[in-house]
Amino acid sequence: MSDTAGNGAVLVVGGGISGLTAALEAAEVGNEVYLIDKNSYFGGRVAQLNQYFPKLCPPTCGLEINFKRVKDNRKIRAYSMTTVKSVSGEAGNFEVTLETAPRYVNSNCTACGDCAEVCTDEIDNAFNFGMNKTKAIYLPHEMAFPRRFVLDKEACSAECLDAIKGACKYNAIDTEMTAKSFTVNVSSIIWATGWNPYDASKLDNLKPDSSSAIITNMMMERMAADNGPTAGKILRPGDDKEPESFGFVQCAGSRDENHLEHCSYICCMATFKQITYIRERYPEAKIYVFYIDLRTPGKYEHFREKLMDDANIEFIKGKVADIIAEEDGGVTMVAENAVTGAKIQQKVDLCILATGMQPALGEAGKALGVAMDGNGFVVSEPEKGMIAAGCAKSAVDVYTSGQSSTAAALKAIQIGR
Amino acid sequence: MSMNVQPDLDFIKDMKAAGGDTLKKCFQCATCSVVCPLSSDDNPFPRREMILAQWGLKDKLVGDPNILLCHQCGDCTTYCPRGAKPGDVLGAIRAYAYKFYGWPAGLAKLASSGKNMPMLIGIPAVVILVMWLISGGLHIPSTEQFAHAGYGHFFGHWDFRLLAKNVFFIDLIMLPSAGLAVFASYKGISAMWKAMSENAGVGEALYKPSIPQFIKEFLWPAIVEIVQHNRFRECTTNADRVRGHLPLMWAFMALFFVTVYSAFAQDMLGIFIPSLHGPMSLWNPVKILANVAAIALVVGTGILWGNRSQMEMDGQASRTFYDWFLIWMIMGVGVTGIGAELFRLIGIASVGYVTYYLHLVSVMMLFLYMPYTKFAHLVYRTFAMAFERYRDSAYVKNPLNEG
Repeated sequence: MSDTAGNGAVLVVGGGISGLTAALEAAEVGNEVYLIDKNSYFGGRVAQLNQYFPKLCPPTCGLEINFKRVKDNRKIRAYSMTTVKSVSGEAGNFEVTLETAPRYVNSNCTACGDCAEVCTDEIDNAFNFGMNKTKAIYLPHEMAFPRRFVLDKEACSAECLDAIKGACKYNAIDTEMTAKSFTVNVSSIIWATGWNPYDASKLDNLKPDSSSAIITNMMMERMAADNGPTAGKILRPGDDKEPESFGFVQCAGSRDENHLEHCSYICCMATFKQITYIRERYPEAKIYVFYIDLRTPGKYEHFREKLMDDANIEFIKGKVADIIAEEDGGVTMVAENAVTGAKIQQKVDLCILATGMQPALGEAGKALGVAMDGNGFVVSEPEKGMIAAGCAKSAVDVYTSGQSSTAAALKAIQIGR
Repeated sequence: MSMNVQPDLDFIKDMKAAGGDTLKKCFQCATCSVVCPLSSDDNPFPRREMILAQWGLKDKLVGDPNILLCHQCGDCTTYCPRGAKPGDVLGAIRAYAYKFYGWPAGLAKLASSGKNMPMLIGIPAVVILVMWLISGGLHIPSTEQFAHAGYGHFFGHWDFRLLAKNVFFIDLIMLPSAGLAVFASYKGISAMWKAMSENAGVGEALYKPSIPQFIKEFLWPAIVEIVQHNRFRECTTNADRVRGHLPLMWAFMALFFVTVYSAFAQDMLGIFIPSLHGPMSLWNPVKILANVAAIALVVGTGILWGNRSQMEMDGQASRTFYDWFLIWMIMGVGVTGIGAELFRLIGIASVGYVTYYLHLVSVMMLFLYMPYTKFAHLVYRTFAMAFERYRDSAYVKNPLNEG
């Protein structure tokens, strides 16, 4: 594929909202683009949300149009389940080795679903953070792009594999598939590797594993989503109780040098957004928000003001530092109200940890020559042909990711021309 | 209207010197008040103390019992998201408070800085050396004399049977030192109690407890709690420190008893029963207690020494003169005490006498600097814990008067 060397080809690592945006912006002005994602689908974290800012759209709203643009654009070659193995060369002339993990389902797949019908083995549904199960051969989610099943071969018995193969009318199942390496030559690399929700189990004083009434804000998104594990109902995991009270733990792992030192920027707004989910379903429920500071930048201030008028929501300045599991399935959240100077012990039916954004690239990025700051965010070095976009660069919302991805594309297309 | 803010720079400097330099990092999230195993629901700490310290409101801090209720387990420091080390800051505030209440102020100031170490050691060293010179006892005894009298003739001997020369000189050195410590403690505690009462809004109480009532209802329960180390143990991360502090505290109590007993037996009863003079037999129960206590003292201090080094290595605590000076002093007392006894038993008078001299110096240091160094927690914390009980008692919170 050396035909693209030196003519401005761009590799976009990560196919979430930032990667899609950067890839399209670069391709639509005529550059060759390789778009890769380690997941079996594109759309990243936005695909998992129920609604996203600034206009509280469902993810279909923004992603579908982008998927269509990607499909229609001959300049973009998109590879799912693909990661970067090595990077050599320099700005204007990189040689990058990529590796595609075996999907065990080839392009003959029409997503008819006959295989899943006969599949007897089940796995945790990673898309729903393990809140439900899925068949071991599955479509990652409803609007998965590429629309093709994935087989978790390790989770399947030999009989199950035979049944799956037998059920497929299109000869799409290939259990002999292996990981495939290939090399691309590009002028620049856009790192749009996004974020992972911070691992709540590391917050040992909050004991998130002690009760199923403690969930994360991303789990809340999945529950609120129509295509989620509860088909849009917000229920307490474990006993499926309709919660009468909710507690939000802000800065769960963020602004904390023992966890994520940075402010994750989105969690305050995510909590306000999730309050609207709760209000749609439970108009009378009591809601408690424990915070250090409420950070609702710019025009989001109005959103905050509107919700703070709700008499059934209490805002307590003080970080939750202990959560005690109760026998009735609820939990008691303990904090000090820094305004009154007294401790508060608030029992709630469902407790939501507003966990923050951990940059997803991690240590692996350093080995590939990516410059990172102390928090693990990618530092853009356009002069070296390495450009960061979206949440790989800093913790931001979708809207700001769009801006930074367009900016990244603009930098990328100036290299190697 | 303009406002002229005068930050108290000296207070900030004191905080920094005593290991509280991290206090400005606090952003008031209040994690500390919740993870603290000792913080109560109505009067949580140390979040409030952190902001008072940031604002330089030292008058509020020195009258806040919470600074003394803290046993510095470091849970707050472990969970602090900002590295503000509330545990160290409260330690620094305590150090400040001892200095603040210390009388005479010059001595309190002297004892608060490591830079004054030559003076701190020098004062007792010179005083005792001068006494040794004046007494005429400054020479090394013969082996027989040493075996017979031990250190009983350290300051020489005279025939006035009602008061031995040695006792006279030791009393001359130690009684004023201890007396000063007692008086300074009394002054300090009175001032602290007044400040705490004002801070807590304890007005003119209609009924004040009598002294026996005060002791029975507030002071004695506090002492019982201290002796049992219950609160110390609640700091679960402090298990190792309890292992060091508990033997140390018992050692102090045992050695206090032994000292009082031997003063009584040798210097009072000894007037009539001369055989009570001289070193006790190793098999005398009191001597056994003394030796066990001395070993407990050194072992306990050794454990605390190791723990503190470990905490500092792990970044759990900062290295401060305030914390180390007490450990050094007590270790000094223990090691020179045991050393002097051992040299007496094996009969090396020269080294024994020098060791005994150092022992007297370190004991005098302990007495003299007690009210101003970390040792002051002995009295201040005890009374803060009594105040904590008083604050919630019917003397202050009369339900009939509330409303």
